[in-house]
Order: sequence, then C-alpha cells, then structure tokens
Amino acid sequence: MIEIERLSFRYPGAGTGVALPALRIERGARVAIIGPSGAGKTTLLKLIAGILTPGTGTVRVDGITVSALDDDARRNFRISRIGFVFQELELLDYLSVYDNIVHPYRINRVLKLDRQVRDRARALAEHTGLGDKLAALPRELSQGERQRAAVCRALLTEPDLLLADEATGNLDPANKLRIIELLTRAAERNRATLLAVTHDHELLPLFDRVIDIRQPGSPRAE
Amino acid sequence: MRHDFYLAWRHLRHHRTRTLILVLCLGLIAALPLGLHQVLEAGEYWMTRRAEATPLLVGARGSSVDLTLGALYFSETGVPTIRMQEADRITATGWADALPVYARHRVQDQPLIGVTLDYFDFRGLAPAQGELPAILGDCVLGADAADRLGLGPGGTLASSSENAFDLAGSYPLKLHVTGVLAKAHSPDDHAVFVDIQTAWVIEGLGHGHGETQAAPTRPDSPFGSPTVRRADAGLLTYTEITPENLEFFHFHGDPATYPISAVIALPHDTRAATLLQGRYLDDHSETEIVRPLDVTRGLLQNIFRVGALFDGILLLVGTIALLLVALVFSLSLRLRQREIETIYLLGCARLTVLRLLFAEILLIALIAAAVCAAVLATAAPYASDLARHFILS
Amino acid sequence: MPTFRILSFVIALLAAASAWGAGAVSEHPLKIVASNYPLAYFAERLAGSWATVTLPAPADADPAYWRPDVKAVGAMQKADLILLNGADYEKWLAHVALPRLKRVDTSAGFRDRFIRIENAVVHSHGPAGQHSHEGTAYTTWLDFDQAAQQAEAVAKALIVRRPELETAVLDALKALQTDLAGLDGELKRIATAKPGVPLMASHPVYQYLARRYGLNLKSVHWEPGEMPPEKEWTELGKTLTVHPAKTMLWEARPSPAIADKLSAKGVTSVVFDPCANRPESGDFLAVMKRNIENLKMALQR
Repeated sequence: MIEIERLSFRYPGAGTGVALPALRIERGARVAIIGPSGAGKTTLLKLIAGILTPGTGTVRVDGITVSALDDDARRNFRISRIGFVFQELELLDYLSVYDNIVHPYRINRVLKLDRQVRDRARALAEHTGLGDKLAALPRELSQGERQRAAVCRALLTEPDLLLADEATGNLDPANKLRIIELLTRAAERNRATLLAVTHDHELLPLFDRVIDIRQPGSPRAE
Repeated sequence: MRHDFYLAWRHLRHHRTRTLILVLCLGLIAALPLGLHQVLEAGEYWMTRRAEATPLLVGARGSSVDLTLGALYFSETGVPTIRMQEADRITATGWADALPVYARHRVQDQPLIGVTLDYFDFRGLAPAQGELPAILGDCVLGADAADRLGLGPGGTLASSSENAFDLAGSYPLKLHVTGVLAKAHSPDDHAVFVDIQTAWVIEGLGHGHGETQAAPTRPDSPFGSPTVRRADAGLLTYTEITPENLEFFHFHGDPATYPISAVIALPHDTRAATLLQGRYLDDHSETEIVRPLDVTRGLLQNIFRVGALFDGILLLVGTIALLLVALVFSLSLRLRQREIETIYLLGCARLTVLRLLFAEILLIALIAAAVCAAVLATAAPYASDLARHFILS
Repeated sequence: MPTFRILSFVIALLAAASAWGAGAVSEHPLKIVASNYPLAYFAERLAGSWATVTLPAPADADPAYWRPDVKAVGAMQKADLILLNGADYEKWLAHVALPRLKRVDTSAGFRDRFIRIENAVVHSHGPAGQHSHEGTAYTTWLDFDQAAQQAEAVAKALIVRRPELETAVLDALKALQTDLAGLDGELKRIATAKPGVPLMASHPVYQYLARRYGLNLKSVHWEPGEMPPEKEWTELGKTLTVHPAKTMLWEARPSPAIADKLSAKGVTSVVFDPCANRPESGDFLAVMKRNIENLKMALQR
C-alpha cells in the first residue's frame, strides 16, 4: 500500500515539481498515472522509489516512511522492493542484454547473483521473446526489444512495487500492448502493485485505476 | 569485487580502440626507461665482464680507449699497429703470458681477428661445431657471425684485402670455415677468427707461389680460378690455400716485425703485473700498457651520465604523458556521466561507482604492465647487441 | 668417427672437470708432442710416467721433411706441450695454427750459434721430392752440449706446467745431462786423439757435430738406398783428391752396391744415425753410443 500525504517537491532553481495533498494506492492495484508533460509524473515515481526526497510531506510504502530513511536504507529499500522501468530505459551500451538484465545484481551488495537468479534472468528473457538476443548489445536491438529488456531487468528482483515511466513510449500499438501485458501479468503473479505513467489513453482500460496527476483527488475508474 | 572487474573489463572491451591506445601509451612510457636501463646494464655487464677477464693490454701509445675497444670489443676504430716482437718481449720477461691480437681487418662486415690458438683457451671458447683452425686459410666463426653469414664448417668466405686490385700486393684470400664457436655472450660471438699467420697472409705479408703446374685448378669454384696470375711476375699467387699448395706459402722478412693490434698480457701474479706495468712507464716508448678495467670504468661512467640525462628527460616525458592520460580519463568520465547516472538509478552507491572506475584503472595498469613486460622480454635478447652498438659506434 | 668425436669430447670434458677440482690438477698425464725423437726422448726421461709423449711424424719418415696434415695439427692443438726443435727444423710451423703458449722452442737458448747454410743446391732424392738444405742447419742435438741445453728447455717447460714435479724433473735432468755429457766427453776424446782426419758425409746433416768436435767433414747429397749417378761419383773422386777421406758417415746403412763401390775407392761406410725418428731398437742414448763407437773405429783406421 502506498500512502502519500501533503507531498510537495520542487527541483531546485526550476519551476517544475509536484504537489499532492493525499494519495492512497492499495496493494496489488494496477494504476495508470496520466497528465501533461512537466506535470510531475516522473517526479512522483522517483519520490515513491526514494530516488528523490520530498521537500515536505511523507511517502509511505507498506508502512515504511521512505522519505524518512537515510540514503543507504532508502537505496536498499529501492533495490529490494521496487522494480523501475525508466523512461530512458537506462540500458548500458557496453553490456549484453543478459548482462544488462542482471546488472543490478552486479552493482549492489544486497543482491546476490546466484544460479537461481541467472536462471530466472534467462527464463524472463525467454518469456519476453529475448531468448536469442541475450548476447546482443542494446544497439543491436529494436526499440521494442530494448523496452522488454528494461522490463526484464525491473522484474528480475521480483519487486512488491513496479514503477513504469512511459514504458511504452515510441512503440507501435502491438508492442505497447505486449509491454503493458507483461507488466500487469508480472504484477498479478507477484501480487505486486503496478504504477505506470502513460500517455496512451487506449491502454487505460487495462488498469484498475487511473490517476490524473492534476486532480489526484478525483479518481477516474474506467 | 569480481563483478567490478567484470564490468570494468566489459567496458574496456567495448571501447577497444581507446583502451588499446591507453594501454600502449602507458606500457611504452613504462617500458622506455626500463628498457634503457636494461640496455645500460647489459652494456655494463658485457663490458665489465670482458674487461675483468683481460688483466693487461699492451698496444700502440695513444688512445687507451681505442686500444681497449679495438682489442677487446673489436670496434672499427683503427689503432696503430705494434710489432709481433712485443709479444715475444712480454713472454721473455717471464712475468706474463702474451696473447697477440690482430684486429685490423673485417670480413663481410664482421671483425676478422687474428689470434694464436691460446686465445680460445684463454676466453674459454670451444667449437660447438667442427674444429679450431688448423692450417693457413682456416677460420672459425663466432656464433653470431656464423648466423649472420649463414656459414658452418666446410663453408668458405672471401677476406677483403686492403686493396683487391693492388697488383703488387695481396689478393682476397678464400677462408675455409673449420668450425663455429659456442655462444659466449661476448664480442667473440661476432668475430671471424683466424690464426695470426693467416691474418698476415691476408695482409699480404705471406703469400704462396710455385711452379704453374703445382697450382690446383678447380674451374667450378665460385671464386673463379683459385689462382690469380700476378701481372708483374710470371708467378701464381694463390687466393685459396689448399693442402696441396700449402707448402708454397711463405713469409718474407722476420715475423717478429709483423704487425699486431695489441697483446693481451696475462701476468702470473700481482707482483708480475706490477713489474710488467713498470716496464711501460717511459713516455717516449711507442707502446703503452693499459688495464682494460680502468678504461671501461671511465667509459661506463660517461655512458651512465648520458643514461642519467635520459632518465631525467624520460621522467619529464613520463609525467607529461601521465597527465595527458589523466586528462583523457577525466574527459571520458564526463562522457560517462550519463552511464554513471544510470547505475546510480539502478541502486548503486556512489562508492561503488568509484570502485568500478578503480577496477578499470587497475585493469588498464595491469595490461599496460603486461605490455611493458612483453616489450622488455622481446627486447631483452637484443639488449646486449644494442649496448654493443651504443658503445662501439 | 662420430663415436670418436663424442669420446674425445667426453674425455675433454672429464679433463676440464678434473682440472677444476682442487688438487686434482696432476691427475691427468701431460700430453706432450715432440717434433723429433731426441726431444721425445728427453721428455720421456724427464717427465717419466707424468706424461704421454707422442711423435706425430710417422715412423718411416724423417721428421725434418714431414708436414703435419689437418688431423695431426688438430692432435697437436690438444696437447699440453708442443716441443719444437727450432733452428728452422719445423718448416711447417708457419702454415699451421698452434697455441703459442704451449710451444717450446728448445733451441732458442743458442739461437745466436745456429749455422747458416749458404748456396745450397736444390736436389731431389726419395719420395719426399725436391728439397734444399739452404737456411739453418737443424740437427742441433748432434752437438751434445746443445742437446743438454735443449733438454734443459724441456725441463723448464715441464716445471712451469707441473711445478709440483720440480724436484723429480730436475733430478731426471741431472741424470740425462750426465749421460749427454758422457757422450760429449767421449766424442771429444776420440776426436782430439785424431785431429783433422778428413771425413765425408753422405748428407749435410752433421754441421753441429763437426763444429763441436772439430771434425774435418765434407758433404755430398746421397741417400742410403739410392745409387748416385755417375756424375756424383766423378765429383766425389775430385773431392777425395783434395780431401782424402777414408770414411763416409751415413744416416743409415747404405745399400751394399753403394758401400761396395765406395770401398773400391777406399772409403768405408760408417753409420752415424742422427736418430731424428724413433729407432727400431734401443733409445737415443744407445743409438748415439753406437754412433760414437762407429766413428771411433773409423777414426782409428
């Protein structure tokens, strides 16, 4: 469960930011976040993930006040509990698809890259249609394949909370659908909460709840 | 830690060209001064060992450096000759054994050294193939000379006389290779050795002529006919010495007056050495005695002074190069800002980013060290050759 | 042949190894090469069992005309000591490569007393081909005083190589020089008893003998096994008129035909063997004693 109270954040020296009086998202919910560019959708996800700390207010995830944790604890929390699909994908160009998927395990001590994880990585890749691209470099992939690789990396830790920032951007409709299905099914399987920022209104029916960042108080259930 | 290196390695591999340039730069920057010292040390070892093994040297008064370089290291610097009787005189004192050395000529760019057979005993040179020279016209090759000339026992090579077209004088002599000496890691490896009497034949002091019918004819010889008709006399002058014509070879004049470059004197003890040195105190005599070790020490001091200068320059160049490498690295860090942001987003601590960078630097350093070692190892066998060139030319 | 090379290599290695071992220096006998028999004999007497002495010239050759081939030179190079007669005896010396430090010129001590032969005739006899005796007379050892000096030179060289044997060598030298002095005294005695008796020599090899003992000697160039041509006999007849010799000294017993023809002219053939090569029986001393005996009988006639 995500609980947000009187949250406000401003980027230093910039007019942009986010302000939310209150927001509650139930565990296991599949939520789409919509709103125009610059409205603070990505910032909200980063605040929930603990990548950013709020100026005022609190963010609680499953009872843990993320905004009150110190840097290390917040990072450990993020690594172990949250899967994040970034808008820019953040794949490393010098690592193969496989190495990109297991990358979090190589840079974080709290995660252990054992055989199980490796098998899971391969299974995920297989499942997302990347089975034969494991050795390829990101630049050798199509945009859709790159998106899927980023999704695989986010799913590998089997997170409680899946955050997807424009995970379907620049894709054709079929691929968009495939990615969202991947995310929703994975969330369902792990009984995880899914928070997806999207611009694609045709995808909204796939979510339980849609939050417009400008009127977070008026949920539009569709 | 293992992952850090894995990721660092992946990154380096991905940017091969950059890595290669960095590694080569660093490797060569390190190899240069080390290689220079290797060469200097090889030179020192090569020179000192030789000088230590040669207690005293007698030669024409003048440059003791040229005398030593010529008689010990077979340099091309010509020194005035002395007479063979100098060797007899030293032997007659009873204080020292005398080894005459005649190092004036060259044959196909290798030093042609006239010695007595004792020289081989003295230097501990033994044939690895074949035998030592037995008769006039025989020669034995140093290991490297044999390699360079591509000759072994049974081969022949033509000596170049002072003037091949000197009708009144000598003709090139066809030398018979009787053996190849085992490698000694000394200047002897580069030399072609003949008996001192053969050297005098090449000089034109000894020659052979007999009745025309006594001359052997061998039309298939690559030197043409092995005999050359002298223009001034109706006699035949042999350019090849064979067992058949050997007895017609003879020397004119008193061999005691024949030229040699130097005499290596082996005193029987320190007292004998002192006594012998005392004999050469007269500044007006035509000969002088030198201790090769003193000469080479002086020479090496100069070389090391140059070496130290090189070190200074290399230190400067190295510092500049390292600064440049640091600049390249920091620039590449800027280029990698985006990537660092990514791994930070993936949950990596700032410290881990530093560790990854450190792993990368360490890997580059290790590979550069390997390159440096490889360069040095490849260059090592040539170090003494290089030193030889340094010192002798 | 390869087996021999390997074997000689192994031996050389062993020799080198033993030379390294302290105190083992004297283990291997000195290898001595002598260019003629008198020197070999001196070396054998002086070094005894401490040396192996070889004479590279074949038994049937006169070492004065022998020339070493490459193999013989190689063998000499491996020797510890090379005893040379000097006085231009080793005409091959300028043609071969031998270690100078191992060479001993045994006659160097009396170099200033060498006899020069001028205006010698080039002549030919036997299988050795043409030769001439121009240059230096080389049978130095037939002057037993010179022989004693040569023996001393050998002894000195031995002592340099084996200082620990000094006493033994000097003792042996004393004995040898006594023997040589005995020969010297005997010859002097018989020569002074009959001074100026004209003698002929079949070959010019007795110069030092004649000088030391005051022999009135003239030479022809004859070989014991070769009948000289008639011209030579005529020449001899002429010589005998001014030099009425009743004895001709021969290096070896002449063929009966020559001996008979000579005795018809009233000249007896007497052997005075220079003993340049190893005799079939006896040794240098025995041969020289026999020579002196022969000469004594000749002079008493």
